[in-house]
Amino acid sequence: MSGITISVNGKSFSVDVDAYTPLLWVFRDVLGLTGTKFGCGMGVCGSCTVIVDGQATRSCITPVSAVAGKEITTIEGLSPDGSHPLQKAWLEERVTQCGYCQPGQIMTAAALLGQNPKPSHQEILDAMSPVLCRCGTYQRILKAVERVAQENAS
Amino acid sequence: MSAHPALSRRDFLKVTYTTGAGLMIAFALPGCSKEASNGPAPTPTSTLLPALKGPDALTPNVFVTIGHDGLVSVTVPRSEMGQGVRTAFAMILAEELDADWKSIRVKQADADPVFGDQHTGGSASISGSYMTLRLAGATARSLLISAAAKVWGVARAICTAENGMVIRSDTGAKLSFGYLVPLAATLPLPNPIGTSLKDPKKFHIVGTRMASVDTTDIVTGHARFGMDIRLPGMLHAVVAHNPTIDGTISHFDAAKAMQVPGVRKIVPLDTGVAVVGDTTWSAMQGRQALTVTYEDGPTADYSSHREEQLMLQTAFVKPGARELVQYYVVPFLSHAPMEPMNCVADVRADRCDVWVSSQDPPTFKDSAEEAAGTSITNLHVPLIGGGFGRRLQIGPVDYVAEAVHVSKAVGAPIKLFWTREEDIQHEYYHPLSVTMVRADLGDISTLQLNRSESSAVPAGAWRSVENVPEAFAHECFVDEFAHATKQDPVQLRREFVESRGLTVINLAAEKAGWGTPLPAGHGRGIAYHATWDVTHVAQVAEVSVDHGGNVRVHRVVCAVDCGVVVNPDSVEAQMESGIIFGMTAALKSSLSFEKGRVQQSNFHDYPLLRMDEAPVIEVYIVPSQEDPSGVGEMSNPVIMPAVANAVFAATGVRVRRVPILPKTILAG
Repeated sequence: MSGITISVNGKSFSVDVDAYTPLLWVFRDVLGLTGTKFGCGMGVCGSCTVIVDGQATRSCITPVSAVAGKEITTIEGLSPDGSHPLQKAWLEERVTQCGYCQPGQIMTAAALLGQNPKPSHQEILDAMSPVLCRCGTYQRILKAVERVAQENAS
Repeated sequence: MSAHPALSRRDFLKVTYTTGAGLMIAFALPGCSKEASNGPAPTPTSTLLPALKGPDALTPNVFVTIGHDGLVSVTVPRSEMGQGVRTAFAMILAEELDADWKSIRVKQADADPVFGDQHTGGSASISGSYMTLRLAGATARSLLISAAAKVWGVARAICTAENGMVIRSDTGAKLSFGYLVPLAATLPLPNPIGTSLKDPKKFHIVGTRMASVDTTDIVTGHARFGMDIRLPGMLHAVVAHNPTIDGTISHFDAAKAMQVPGVRKIVPLDTGVAVVGDTTWSAMQGRQALTVTYEDGPTADYSSHREEQLMLQTAFVKPGARELVQYYVVPFLSHAPMEPMNCVADVRADRCDVWVSSQDPPTFKDSAEEAAGTSITNLHVPLIGGGFGRRLQIGPVDYVAEAVHVSKAVGAPIKLFWTREEDIQHEYYHPLSVTMVRADLGDISTLQLNRSESSAVPAGAWRSVENVPEAFAHECFVDEFAHATKQDPVQLRREFVESRGLTVINLAAEKAGWGTPLPAGHGRGIAYHATWDVTHVAQVAEVSVDHGGNVRVHRVVCAVDCGVVVNPDSVEAQMESGIIFGMTAALKSSLSFEKGRVQQSNFHDYPLLRMDEAPVIEVYIVPSQEDPSGVGEMSNPVIMPAVANAVFAATGVRVRRVPILPKTILAG
């Protein structure tokens, strides 16, 4: 065990866990940030997606030691009050059903728009398709991301 | 539906009256998200009047409490898993109460006998509670109107309720619900049989596109699912099970597991061996290090492939001279909700608290009590990260009992969770089935359908249950019959489907442009089903198939008649949801067993439909004043045959077993 310093949502934390501990469990079990979800544990469903230095990152397969010194953003840090354009678009398009995968969907979309504020339809599909939703909210997620992309374009 | 429906004794009894607020049990936890909020409470407009004497809250029944601050708490005894029940229940009650929607707060009920049936399944939450909730709201409204009439010293008849106020029609004066609460709470409860319900024509909440009360919490990461419950001093547990259906663990060695940093304890259970750690990860690492010896169970040689062949042989019938006979296979399927199975248990000397995302809180509570050995068990219900029937179990709930046993053994609150692999290996599966369908080619009304199901492994209610194999077989067969008799599949259905079913078939066909030209290589398929004979759904799927046999579903047009619509947005969402859910089974994933063990384990080999595979979906709702009849499981059974029929239209290849795989299409 050694103290590892990570920066999450603009705050610095020293966590005393095994260096290989996936970031997901550091958020959930150590920092109490439960917005980031477990879905598969092998990086194939995307529910655990957070943003590390601007990149969409699967926190369930990312060792905490690999992100020391990097800027990490979770769903709780996307905006202070739910006012991020994607969060507003998610409400406008009535995207959510059970809601469990949605933090991973929103963080994936936020990483995409951070790198490419005006993505094409195909670019949105390419970025979002690896993130699974069992409730089948895809059509509405697509509309919500396109809504923000169009706002950015105008 | 009339404005003053005759009440049955059953309706009357379902509105359970209580005498105080003591039974209103709120779901509240340290660090838990705020209750659903829709904005600030209305400001009372009656501040110049002297305050009324009486209790602070009006609780005429277990579903609603109105505070003297004007806030209205609606307690929802059914579980929320994305189908919108918390929002819909609040809408129905608020409508009859004539409440201001902004004053509504939703509370989730614990498992509690005062609510009677709390099971969330069969798409029956709204149909089973619609009249109960209307009466609950109307009773509260009646008390508030009586209180206002007393304050003004006028007849009740000139007082009406609107938007959280009682209004006096002769002067236009208004009194807020909050102001009236202390007096209303002292008045005798009106007889529900004499309580008038609103004319549905005057509804202005029911029937509107209301946003989910939970959506803001969801998009900010503050929503609390079972997995998100945290208690002070809580430890984390995972369980090693035998990966076969009914094998056991005959021996284990904890030495190496105990050396893993953060591992606290190893707890042997009837069902496996639990590893307890400071974090989920330490418990998972400890489990990896645990040495276990497996012992085979009775079904250790079970093969689903072998059983399927046997079932097909058994189902075989010799066709008559002018008879069409076909066989349709639906394999084992997994619910695979995104939130895996989990349970938080805190067993103390004199009580046991359990938090679990459950579709049937009372039976889950029974499991917890049995394991805890105490009847003083409180079962709290967080949001469910996908249910689809996975969180309905007949008999003891394994992971609930495990969590309780571990908490008892460790003497601390425990969050126990099953990894994705554990869930897929120890599911209550949709069973493998073979359905034989036969009909005389001269008369579609001779159609007979006979389904056999595997009972080799534990079976559960998989969204829409038996309607999935039934609709797949029936609707594919009707398509085959139409082709064999050179009839149009829509026209053939018009000859034997009646009334509401016919309406949705015609609507879907019209909106899809049935019969109009399509690009080369594309095909349309239609299917219709009324799940449990209550909600009528027709879908037209448009597909294309590439040279590699890959099916692409471009567009699905869905028409639905579900009676009175409480929230049209939820109806559309559930139609979309069923189509995507059903498409995973139609095109992508199934389970197989060999040597008594599930061959699949996670989303890499049980893949779900992705966004880039999803069709454009259009939903059309038939306006109706029939009783509301549910939507959660009504769309899922229809898409599988609609896609299979469209694949035939595009390729001329009939596929009678799902998932429809490229190799099957290429083999012709």
